[in-house]
Amino acid sequence: MRKSWLPVGFLWLVYTILILALVKYVNVLPTQWAEEAQVVDEAFLLLMYLAAPVMAMVLAVMTWGMIAWRSDGADREDGPNTHTNRIVVTTWLVLTSALAIGVVINPGFIGLAEIRGEPSSDYVIEIEASQFFWEVTYPNGATSFDELVVPAHMRVRYDVNSTDVHHSFWVPAFRVKIDAVPGITTRVFATATAEGSIEDDINLRIQCAELCGAGHAAMAMPVRVVSDAEWNEYITSIGGSG
Amino acid sequence: MAMDVERSEYRQDMSFQPRANRIGMWLFLVSETFLFGAFLAARYYSTGTLRPEELNQALALFLTVVLLGSSVSAYLAETAIRFNHRRKFIIFTAVTIALGLLFLGGVVVELREAIHLFPPGTPYGSSYFMLIGLHAFHVVTGLIALSIVLRLGVMGHFSSKDYWGVEGVVKYWHFVDLAWVVIYPTLYLF
Amino acid sequence: MKYLVRAIVFGLVGYVSGVWLTLAVRGGDPTDEVAVVFGFILALLGWLAGIGGLEAFGRQWIGKTPKLSEDHTWRRYFQFSGDHKVIGIQYGVTLFAVLLIGGLVSMIMRIELAAPGMSIVDLEEFNKLMSMHGILMIAVAVAGIIGAFGNYLIPIQIGAADMAFPRLNALSFWLVPPVAIGLLSAPLLGSFDAGWTAYAPLSVTNDSGQILFNLALIAFGLSSILGGLNILVTVITMRAPGMTWGRLPIFTWAGFATALLTFSVTQFFAGALTLITMDRVAGTNFFGPEVGTGILYQHIFWFYSHPAVYIMVLPGLGVVLELVTTFSRKPLFAYKTTVGALLTIVGLSVVVWGHHMFTSGMADFLHGPFMILTEAISIPTGVIFLSIMGTLWQGKLWFRAPLIMTFGWLFNFMIGGITGIFLADVATDIYLHDTYFVVAHFHYTIVGGAIFALLAAFFYWFPKVTGRMYNDKLGSIFAVWVTVAFNFTFMPLFWVGINGMNRRVGDYPEAYAAANKFASISAFILGASFLLFVGNMLWSAVKGPKAGANPWNARTLEWQVSSPPSHHNFLSQPVIVGHPYDYGGDGSPHVIFPDAEEPPDEVSLEEASV
Ligand code: HEA
Ligand code: HEA
Ligand code: CUA
Ligand SMILES: [Cu+2]
Repeated sequence: MRKSWLPVGFLWLVYTILILALVKYVNVLPTQWAEEAQVVDEAFLLLMYLAAPVMAMVLAVMTWGMIAWRSDGADREDGPNTHTNRIVVTTWLVLTSALAIGVVINPGFIGLAEIRGEPSSDYVIEIEASQFFWEVTYPNGATSFDELVVPAHMRVRYDVNSTDVHHSFWVPAFRVKIDAVPGITTRVFATATAEGSIEDDINLRIQCAELCGAGHAAMAMPVRVVSDAEWNEYITSIGGSG
Repeated sequence: MAMDVERSEYRQDMSFQPRANRIGMWLFLVSETFLFGAFLAARYYSTGTLRPEELNQALALFLTVVLLGSSVSAYLAETAIRFNHRRKFIIFTAVTIALGLLFLGGVVVELREAIHLFPPGTPYGSSYFMLIGLHAFHVVTGLIALSIVLRLGVMGHFSSKDYWGVEGVVKYWHFVDLAWVVIYPTLYLF
Repeated sequence: MKYLVRAIVFGLVGYVSGVWLTLAVRGGDPTDEVAVVFGFILALLGWLAGIGGLEAFGRQWIGKTPKLSEDHTWRRYFQFSGDHKVIGIQYGVTLFAVLLIGGLVSMIMRIELAAPGMSIVDLEEFNKLMSMHGILMIAVAVAGIIGAFGNYLIPIQIGAADMAFPRLNALSFWLVPPVAIGLLSAPLLGSFDAGWTAYAPLSVTNDSGQILFNLALIAFGLSSILGGLNILVTVITMRAPGMTWGRLPIFTWAGFATALLTFSVTQFFAGALTLITMDRVAGTNFFGPEVGTGILYQHIFWFYSHPAVYIMVLPGLGVVLELVTTFSRKPLFAYKTTVGALLTIVGLSVVVWGHHMFTSGMADFLHGPFMILTEAISIPTGVIFLSIMGTLWQGKLWFRAPLIMTFGWLFNFMIGGITGIFLADVATDIYLHDTYFVVAHFHYTIVGGAIFALLAAFFYWFPKVTGRMYNDKLGSIFAVWVTVAFNFTFMPLFWVGINGMNRRVGDYPEAYAAANKFASISAFILGASFLLFVGNMLWSAVKGPKAGANPWNARTLEWQVSSPPSHHNFLSQPVIVGHPYDYGGDGSPHVIFPDAEEPPDEVSLEEASV
């Protein structure tokens, strides 16, 4: 009665390889523009790789079931009377627990440390959300309502705030997101890696990511990454106390 | 919650019913605990243990005593009917209702003071009115249930063999009392 | 019908007098929220009294014997009946109707989303449609399987004549129609646009329709709580002789586990909604923008609403496990471990709510624990998968519509579960939160997990409930169709989510147009599949061939009685003597009827023509 192990094991292997190949060669992730994005993307890919054998296992059993175990129920024949199998159950519990623990450690805690740790920054930019627009305040006090300009290769801390309901500060290309909560200041760090603007990539935008009312969908603002020098020039040009 | 559905040809043994009633009541009270838990959590989350000085401590203490007393009389009413002492049962039920009404009156006085000192729009006021309101709502439903029991008792219902109606309501009343024992320190003492 | 008419009249009178009283006391406008609140409360009471609450409860309060509907004609479906089978059917039909309405709303959404820019509605209307779709569907998913099949089957599966509290059971059901009416009439007051989650402070400041949302869902919560309580007490106290905990059918176990959650945590939902209601009408200020306690709302809300997702899926797990043993004709693999897993899921599910709040600004130290606990839940859920695969292993798989649906379920829920892991991880969730990745995740778990199981259950128990067999050929076509169309609809949504499209938007950048168009077209094909399903069911209920007592040759109790079961389910006391799923064993039965005059009618499979 051991005859199903072999074909199912084989299918499992094949599916695993197929899924792994898919993950490796078909890139589903958008372009990265920040160091934090690399952490997120690595975590994402790692999870995809880890998920491959799990999905393959289920798929293998399903496939082989459809091929080899079908039977016409009308003959009222019963299958084998196996109630359980201690070895299989234990192995399964050990493996899935190991997988879960593995996932918690990496990318879980390692990613958490990289995203949330190290609260030092080169600049602080304040972001204030209101229904339905963003107000950006640069370190020199200059403000802007139509564009967020940030220096490349600098670690910027965004202090996020809201005046009415919850919004969420999200720059998809940076892969970071934090809610704007009235009454408290939340913060998030991002280090842009390359110059560019929304013309280059639609994901270089601030997009509100918490339902805030009628204008939620339209609550977006372009982001432009420039060199540090250009940035300094820009923020003095739009005013502020210097 | 007694069930007496008519059952025709095949009758399932109905001996489970008293046990079902009791378990049902206990589970209901567990469930209610979650509701009170949610509001208590809201109070601690939004205002911590902060409380204004103007609270009428004397009145609150008095109310606590009244409510605890009503729990005692409710207990006595239940014991009385278990031993078929109808008169005692009716008297103690009436006493319980009276104490409950006294409590409710006190709460009204309390709220009328509070509405000027810390209106519901203030952080503490919100929690205060919410918790007192929730509790008062339970007191009112408890009183309605007690009155029904009292009226049925006067009409001659209930006996040592059939007192689930009394027992259930009294359990509920104890719960209302217990809830106050948590709400009182939350609002007045901590 | 007389009771239904009375209920409607009392309900209307209640509403009008509630509004009138409010106006008399404090003046104002009939559309003021305070007036609506009192109107709704009195309308609800009037409705319940009218439909039969007066006879069922009121009579007892004045010392008379309470009465429940004793009608045996079709009219009993419109009355306050205590019969769990009637209530199961009432739930099933009502919630299926709500599912269709919610589905039609989603069709409007998909038309709007088929191309960027606004075509048939504006941004605000879109948010309102989206919220309506979300909450109607959540209601279906929360109460669908447990309300319909839980009520119908649990008493039979444990060998009882009814639920422990038939009147309470009727009350749970009759609270549901006002919920649907309340939600669907919210557009009269400007509807609600805060999503199904109703995050404060948005839900404190938006249009007045929100108040109906709150009131309706508090009523719905009450219904869930009472229903859960009833199931718990029934299973604890009413099991037939010999029905030990170790012999309980797995669907009953799943219902029991679900009830443990519904009867307790639902109070938090009612609590959260009460708080925002009070902020709107009673002048309290829990969540005003200046107080900054919006995160508190989220904690209370998710303390219920995370467990709620397991309330949706646990009965589904029960259905699927029940189906795999029957259709692979093998004992349920690792029965005890599986029961342990169901209970572990219940335990863990109340301590993971924070995974919805990784970007909410909640305290940093909470992120780690919530991540660990969330990922721990995949272990018991994995055990369910093991049990399913172990049961299928070398079985005699009988590919009928229910099993095909189960295979679809297995695929969908696997995808849904695994994408859950991506969301449980803080590093990835910080990106994926509030994108279409989440939308795809939960459609894979709720639709793929709960609704697929619901549909499979409709097929499997159809012959039991109606006494007739559905058309299996059409059923199988539907099963394949719905699985494929479902995957075509929601698979692309993972991609748009990963690529930066956020959820709850009526308009989006050009970059996501192609995938959205594909999803929309697939969604219409998916919607159309339901026509086939409904047609098949309606036609077969009237014209289908007689099914007999046990067309699937299954072992659990409900199949050992006639189809549909007699008024009190059993003609004589059942006694449980063996394991429910001992297929291929020595032939020892699960149940015997020592006092039976005749053995229950055996109908051969040929006759059932499945
Ligand atoms: C039926 C409903 C249902 C179910 C069952 C689940 C199951 C799970 N969900 Fe999901 N979820 C929702 C419905 C559901 N969810 C809804 C409605 C939302 C959105 C709410 C909103 O914002 O509107 C949501 C959102 C949501 C979020 C928040 C996303 C965000 O907004 O940022 C998260 C984050 O952790 C999450 C995680 C999970 C996990 C880990 C599981 C796990 O239970 C899954 C476990 C299953 C498996 C893992 C697969 C099988 C296991 C194996 C084959 C074993 C081996 C595997 C391993 C060891 C990894 N879900
Ligand atoms: C039980 C739960 C459930 C179910 C079954 C569904 C079913 C579907 N859902 Fe929904 N959905 C939710 C629960 C559910 N959903 C929730 C909780 C949200 C979140 C809301 C929020 O953010 O607050 C959501 C949000 C949501 C969104 C995201 C909105 C946004 O964020 O902007 C979308 C978008 O595509 C969507 C689509 C669909 C589609 C196409 C179906 C289809 O499967 C529906 C198919 C069914 C039918 C179409 C009806 C039956 C058919 C007929 C009567 C035949 C006639 C019709 C035609 C031929 C067209 N849903
Ligand atoms: Cu601002 Cu959404
Ligand atoms: Cu969750």
